[in-house]
Amino acid sequence: MSDGMNMTARDAIFAKLREHKSPQEDAYPLPPVAVFGDCDASPERFAKNLAQMGGKLLPRKPGESIAHVIDAAFPARQNLCTAVPEVEGTLRIEDLEDHYQANKVDVMVVRAAFGIAEVGGIFLSEVELKEHLADVHLAQHLVVLLSQAELTGNMHTAYRDRSEFKTAGYGVVMSGPSATADIQGVLIRGAQGVRSLSVIWD
Amino acid sequence: MSNKPIPHAKSAAEWIEKEDHYTFHDERLWDMRQKRDEQMHLLPEWQDLREQASRLKEHTLAHLPHYLEQFEENARRNGIHVHWARDGAEHNRIVESLLKKHNKTSIIKSKSMITDECEMREYLEPRGYSVTETDLGERIQQLDGQMPSHVVVPAVQKLTGDVAQLFAKYYDTDPASDDPHELAEAQRIAARPALLTGDTGMTGGNFLVAETGTFVVCTNEGNADLSANLPDLHIATLGIERLIPRMADLGVFIRLLSRSALGSPITQYTTHFRKPKKGGEMHVILVDNGRSDRLAMDDFWSSLKCIRCGACMNTCPVYRRSGGQSYGAVYSGPIGAIIDPTFNAKKFSTLPFASTMNGSCTNVCPVKINIHDQLYKWRQVLAERHEIPFVKRALMKMAGRLLAQPALYRLSISGAEVALKTVPRFALYNYFNQWGKHRELPHPVKETFHSWYKKNRLNKEKGAEKEETEA
Amino acid sequence: MKIGLFIPCYIDAFYPKTGIATLELLEKLGQNAEYPMDQTCCGQPMANSGCSPDAKMTEELFVRNFAKYDVIVAPSGSCVHHVRDHFDAMEQTADVRHVRQNTYELVEFLHDVLKVRDFPWAEFPHRVGLHNSCATLRSLRTASMSELGEPFFSKPKTLLSAVKGISFATPKRPDECCGFGGTYSVTEEAVSAKMGLDKVTDHHEAGAEYIVSADTSCMMHQQGCAERNGVPIRFIHIAEILNGAKA
Repeated sequence: MSDGMNMTARDAIFAKLREHKSPQEDAYPLPPVAVFGDCDASPERFAKNLAQMGGKLLPRKPGESIAHVIDAAFPARQNLCTAVPEVEGTLRIEDLEDHYQANKVDVMVVRAAFGIAEVGGIFLSEVELKEHLADVHLAQHLVVLLSQAELTGNMHTAYRDRSEFKTAGYGVVMSGPSATADIQGVLIRGAQGVRSLSVIWD
Repeated sequence: MSNKPIPHAKSAAEWIEKEDHYTFHDERLWDMRQKRDEQMHLLPEWQDLREQASRLKEHTLAHLPHYLEQFEENARRNGIHVHWARDGAEHNRIVESLLKKHNKTSIIKSKSMITDECEMREYLEPRGYSVTETDLGERIQQLDGQMPSHVVVPAVQKLTGDVAQLFAKYYDTDPASDDPHELAEAQRIAARPALLTGDTGMTGGNFLVAETGTFVVCTNEGNADLSANLPDLHIATLGIERLIPRMADLGVFIRLLSRSALGSPITQYTTHFRKPKKGGEMHVILVDNGRSDRLAMDDFWSSLKCIRCGACMNTCPVYRRSGGQSYGAVYSGPIGAIIDPTFNAKKFSTLPFASTMNGSCTNVCPVKINIHDQLYKWRQVLAERHEIPFVKRALMKMAGRLLAQPALYRLSISGAEVALKTVPRFALYNYFNQWGKHRELPHPVKETFHSWYKKNRLNKEKGAEKEETEA
Repeated sequence: MKIGLFIPCYIDAFYPKTGIATLELLEKLGQNAEYPMDQTCCGQPMANSGCSPDAKMTEELFVRNFAKYDVIVAPSGSCVHHVRDHFDAMEQTADVRHVRQNTYELVEFLHDVLKVRDFPWAEFPHRVGLHNSCATLRSLRTASMSELGEPFFSKPKTLLSAVKGISFATPKRPDECCGFGGTYSVTEEAVSAKMGLDKVTDHHEAGAEYIVSADTSCMMHQQGCAERNGVPIRFIHIAEILNGAKA
């Protein structure tokens, strides 16, 4: 294994660090974990920040089905791939045969493990994505189901309280869709990943 | 690598002449600084966040071997292969050996400053491997054969027209396009096949979490999530200084990073890699490349706290007006000016002088690196090592002697003749010639304050004393 | 309180009016100020170039000249910053420590030590743009810094507000460095001069007739840039306004 071959580099780096490090250990104690700022975990705060990050909240009338909300938002969509039991779609994420098939998906529906009000962010891991880690990002549009009971206030409370950060192999906080401002500072939504990100309360 | 000092002043002077580029560049980065300020005003806890981030980084650096071991142990337990590289060359050989072992040839890559630092593309491409940058800005720079101009917005020195010209060559788009949307779409369309066929994904990483063996990648385009997850082989390169102790500490840094960089509350994607994907292999290469040496430098070790947000570049009036390419280095701007000389003191000897020492960089730094103090310190170190121009050294030596001798000094400023005798002609000429290129000289006055004081205070007092005695 | 007056080399040679105004102002305020005749410079040009050892003798001379005073006052934020924060090349004797701890920039001396708030003789019927040098702003802290988001304060503005007839223009980037930077103005003359031009243009477009500052060095550079490019704006040191200059 190449790990073994590299023991000499490892030893050399550690030896240097141990012998020559300027900052002394005693002078820099570990500060306690800090939780600062606004910890409001309300759906209103989430929605406001989701919008700021370029995401959308899809309105849902009482009793309206999720499928109906999606159909209304994406009338022209063809392939609707779903990772949730609530929506049937045209194909299930588990049935995607390869990335080329995922590349043709117009709308992908997933359920987020939780949301972070401060940044309008949602959390996805291999659990919600059924191990199809890349496919969610190949889709053109992403629809996210999110329970209002699964909101946390800010990034401090998220990392402190949500165990998913310590259990997931792959975990992404998505705040709005893919974006870039690399050409003359013009903000463009839909760079390499999804062109839009919509949240439905459920 | 050439050792010749980077001609920052000359390149910057040329940059200023490109008026459209100059104006856009200055205003774009100033706008990012303004947006950063808006975010700061929204968070009353801003200074507490900076203090906490600084203390966490200082603690981690003071205990670096401990946290590196902890990270390594946890990452290995999760099935990640951990490698160590003493320098860029060793890093590149590790990547190559992994590619060979798995019979891979095409890398799709998200933005990573450290692979640029290791000159990885330059190493792999002639050996028959393809490396495709998938971040839009980084791809633009790759196609143009340039180093990133900025740590966060690599192609910020280019206008839409420059990108249109470049994309026309490679993507067959309209060379006269003036629509960034159209050009970004061209990149999306061109990137997809590369992403789908690439057999190896490479990313950098913003943070290593020791407690869990996680590495964190922050992007806006989503290209890291695609690059890392599409192929079965994911190689991530990170500097050994990227560590933080606990998962619960991450919030402090994520809250500061994008706010400081772009003035947005968070990057669109904050991705945490802790385990290889099902059926995939994940490798983390931890690179030293001068970092352990820097950690041993009393005056400069704290530059390792840097989280690469680029806020110091955005606020720097010199960087904004000289463009990233003028620094001739992977890391430009104020942070570049204090870390580049640790890689090569001669080559980057001019960079600590590319500053007015205004101190704004230190104030915006989210991890409280005393950047402008380190610039000042570097000047002393470089002068001591004779890495500053001979003319300047000679002039300073003369000036130092002259200003320490009041009588001689008074003589010297009372007439140009004496000045030329005490300070060599070439040095003085050089000074006034440079000053006068784009500026008028101060207007001559009839008498110095010194002689006015002598006439109007000292002599008067003496006169008064005399009168008193006579009376 | 015996005050030693430090008049930096470029004020002595090019802007004696500023030195005279500083002295007269202190005298008007009933202070006993004296100008030691053997003074030259604070040593900053050499130290900022990295040549601290070459600055050492000049700095030692400064200490010899000024150690006997209770306080040292200078109409230059940048020099005071050097004395206070960078007098490191020589042995830190009691005299050196005394000088470092008791050297004040004129504005902070008036504002913090004498606590003067009235200048009944001062009248300046003009619109001025206030230039805070980076040394006064970020080292001496005589005004709030935009990057830190701290509550607004400005000692020079507090003092100037007592002047009859004065009004203020607000440039778009009030904290932006003007590009002087000591030897930087020569080392990177093109960027430096461009920054200076941007600065004076910003003030001019904000409607300032005068740029007023506690740092003559910044203004010497800005004036050079304004004159070369035909930007119609004038320059005056804060000491002159507070001392009663009308134009």
